[in-house]
Amino acid sequence: MQKAFLVDGSICLGCNTCAMACKNQYHQDQGVTWRKVREIGAEDYLIDNNNILPTLTSYQKAPKVSMPMERFYFSLACNHCENPACVAICPVGAHTKDPETGICKHDQSICIGCGGCVKACPFGASKFNTKMGRAEKCSMCWERQEEGKTTACVQSCPVHAITIIDLHDPKYKALRSDPIGIDYAIDAETKPSTRFIHPFMPKEIYRQAKG
Amino acid sequence: MSYSKAKVEEILNNTISRRSFLKGLAASGVLSALPGGVLEANEDLNTKIPYSGEKSYQTFRNACPRNCYDTCSIKTYVKDGVMQFIEGATESTYTRGGCCVKGNSYVKRVYSARRLKYPMMQVGGKGSGTWKRISWDQAIDIIAKKLLEMKKEDGTLLGAALTKYSGNFGITHYGIEGMFNSIGYTTRLAGTPCWPAGIDAQNLDMGDMWCNDPEEMKDSKFIILWGVNPAANSIHSMKYIYEAKRKGAKVVVIDPIFTETASKSSQYVQIKTGTDGLLALGMAKIIIDAKLHDQKWLDANTKGYKEYKAYLDKEVKLDDVSNVTGIPLAMIKELALSFAKAKPATIWMGYGMQRHTNGGSMIRAIDALVAVSGNIGKYAGGARYGHLNTWGFNYAALSQAKPEGSVGYSGPEGAKGEFAQVGGEKAAYTDRFLNINKTARELMSAKEPKVRLLWVACKNVFAQDFDRNQLIRAFQQLDLVVVADQFFNETAKWADIVLPVTTQFEEYDVNVSYWHYWLSINEQAIKPLFEIKSDLEIAAMLSKRMNQLQAGSCTFPQSVDTKEMTIKEFNPAIYEQFGIQSWEELKKGPVKAKAVIPFADGKFKTPSGKFELYSDKAQELFGSALPKYLEVRQPYDKFRMTSPHSRWSLHSQFQNLEWMEDFHPEPFVYINPDDAEAKMVSSDDMVAVFNRQGVLRLRAKVTDNVQKGTVLMYEQHYHNSIYNVNELVDDTSSDMGAFKTGAPGVALHDTFVNFKKL
Repeated sequence: MQKAFLVDGSICLGCNTCAMACKNQYHQDQGVTWRKVREIGAEDYLIDNNNILPTLTSYQKAPKVSMPMERFYFSLACNHCENPACVAICPVGAHTKDPETGICKHDQSICIGCGGCVKACPFGASKFNTKMGRAEKCSMCWERQEEGKTTACVQSCPVHAITIIDLHDPKYKALRSDPIGIDYAIDAETKPSTRFIHPFMPKEIYRQAKG
Repeated sequence: MSYSKAKVEEILNNTISRRSFLKGLAASGVLSALPGGVLEANEDLNTKIPYSGEKSYQTFRNACPRNCYDTCSIKTYVKDGVMQFIEGATESTYTRGGCCVKGNSYVKRVYSARRLKYPMMQVGGKGSGTWKRISWDQAIDIIAKKLLEMKKEDGTLLGAALTKYSGNFGITHYGIEGMFNSIGYTTRLAGTPCWPAGIDAQNLDMGDMWCNDPEEMKDSKFIILWGVNPAANSIHSMKYIYEAKRKGAKVVVIDPIFTETASKSSQYVQIKTGTDGLLALGMAKIIIDAKLHDQKWLDANTKGYKEYKAYLDKEVKLDDVSNVTGIPLAMIKELALSFAKAKPATIWMGYGMQRHTNGGSMIRAIDALVAVSGNIGKYAGGARYGHLNTWGFNYAALSQAKPEGSVGYSGPEGAKGEFAQVGGEKAAYTDRFLNINKTARELMSAKEPKVRLLWVACKNVFAQDFDRNQLIRAFQQLDLVVVADQFFNETAKWADIVLPVTTQFEEYDVNVSYWHYWLSINEQAIKPLFEIKSDLEIAAMLSKRMNQLQAGSCTFPQSVDTKEMTIKEFNPAIYEQFGIQSWEELKKGPVKAKAVIPFADGKFKTPSGKFELYSDKAQELFGSALPKYLEVRQPYDKFRMTSPHSRWSLHSQFQNLEWMEDFHPEPFVYINPDDAEAKMVSSDDMVAVFNRQGVLRLRAKVTDNVQKGTVLMYEQHYHNSIYNVNELVDDTSSDMGAFKTGAPGVALHDTFVNFKKL
């Protein structure tokens, strides 16, 4: 099994409820966000000030898309990669990959704050908490899931624009792994698990004539 | 972990030992294990609070009391007396397990270091910034003595004014008005800046403002979202709209702005601002000409169809409709005909549309369009605006007797508010009512006696009222300004005394919505932090002190329990409507009112008992019996400015929180590319936006989400910023509002500005 987020940009309202639901559950410090609702077309990947820029070469700039400002989004957090760089680089085993669910967990209590995962992650999913001197990231609410609940973000989404799927289920095979308009490590060797449904503009749009 | 409930209480109750206690905790390393930064005075504490299993928490029922369509039913998880997290109640099919970005920030709001913690007095004078912490006894003593002194000097308490609006719509919060009722006849800032023109319009047409259940929209075949943006401001409604769309319904957004909702619609139609009424009239004419109107329903249920049709025939020219609205005639025809053919079809009208000088007339024109199409009184149909159908509480906290011998205003009666219209016997005196939408002007001009004391509660005057510079002058001439709030906002800065009040998690209350049909109890989940007290407790303390100083001077109970006050609000009719035996059942989760289709029985509470396309009352009050097209206010500067609500804040609440700053740190002005180019402005440039009212400096974003000739800025209050969009808004009235809410609304979106690059 490989649990994964399926993000539906065609219905996402950009309301940020999911991102705040994460803070509501875990109380990250001001300035630290594990989930971010990224605006398609905006170059906010580069100005995420909590993020030390990814260093892997597979990171690439997305082709420009022309979408209206502040209207289309993908909600992104840790990609719970099949082949996670954070797990590979962590010298103390604070990052682990759950063999059963595929969730990439981080145990902050044994993290030594070396920052390796923050640099290694091609997506900036691991954040560095400067007050704590330790890393932290989304662990897909594994504690909640063990109890039969879903993640905080999924539960609070008003339109089911984020869901959790099993990537190994053949019916999800055709889903896209490339988000449009967002700089992203598309061919990352880590094999990110997040899948995307792309947004589209309404078929009929009438705007006032110029002049 | 050596961390116990007793210790938290000790800290919260004993602020002097708190600091040393914290130091001890920090040294022992315990501090980092404490949840939520609750004990950290300055900033957030640390990171991940693990989810420790459903059984490890105590849960409480809460409700979001903000001025919002969605009024979420909340479940709060508490551990050792500390709020851990909240979630939307899963029992409510409307809230469905999730709040919004604002609701999800509540834990931070409760434990924010920015919260008001103690009563404070601005000893250096209003606006000086020189504050001194005072005790509750001192604060209440000052206020009580001032009130009694005024009463002695003036022979009445009309010099004491209350301004309160939508900061908390919990039913017991009408106890604030109750407090003012209990001291005598006083002055009230009456009316609403929110939705009054539309309320009047719907009451003139149908005798009530009564919308269908929003959950029915899933079965609508055609939905017009007219000037409303649920994707940002009523996110829980979107699932029904999506469901309708998935089932093949067409979802059309008519809006001057390409909104979040427009981006998810089937069709977006951009209209010139303030011309919606004419579009509705034109569409009705097209439908009638094509004989697609519901003649049978109109004959049986309307008054004045003949006059209305004659007006359409004679006065409404389709070419004019197209020219004025800026929409091609072919598109209008297609829209009108496809709307008329779909059954059931519905229109949801936003509140922004009626914040114009012709706002009420536009709502009336759209009501009429829905009537013509035969969709009034139908399941999944309706002219949706809002409702107060589930608000039939006792208003026990509100209803307080006047002290014996109270002297008041003997002018014409005008006591109104849209929510709690409690009937009282005709008295020799009444309170004095000033127009809330002209607060500055009215506070300064009130005479005999002049206003000397102002109490502000559930309201941020400087963020929400108009003409800031005049407001400062008005506040400065008052003897005593008391502000009860949760945060040190701009209004508090112009106060003499600020009083810290509870969040809904620290008190009992009961909540319903003006949109959906759910009822939620709000339990006290945690003890009030610091020295914070509820509005009702403050009223009780004031009553106690006034009675000590002068027996019989205040009738408010001298000690209150918010739970007892909440229980008093229930009555058999509420139980019947919601199908419960007792309020205690609400502890198991929110309940929904029994389904009713508004006006399905064809009974309208108008004078004629019918839907009034022709209204004598409208003729009498507003000079037009028919929903005639009324031209919107003429520009007085280069660009129209609209100031809609953002997803990040509810009026002046939430945007000021630390967590909200993580996602949305600063305001922007949104400018159309053509206008930006003419002024050589690019995205991220600092610009000044100004008019005869004031000036704002902020960063620009260039986007064709706004149409040429219009700039957009959201209405928001930031923690450390003087940004306030209402600084540019004058207090020009909308056409309607005085009929049902006591005062006309404000033509907020008829504000005009210019801008330049800095």
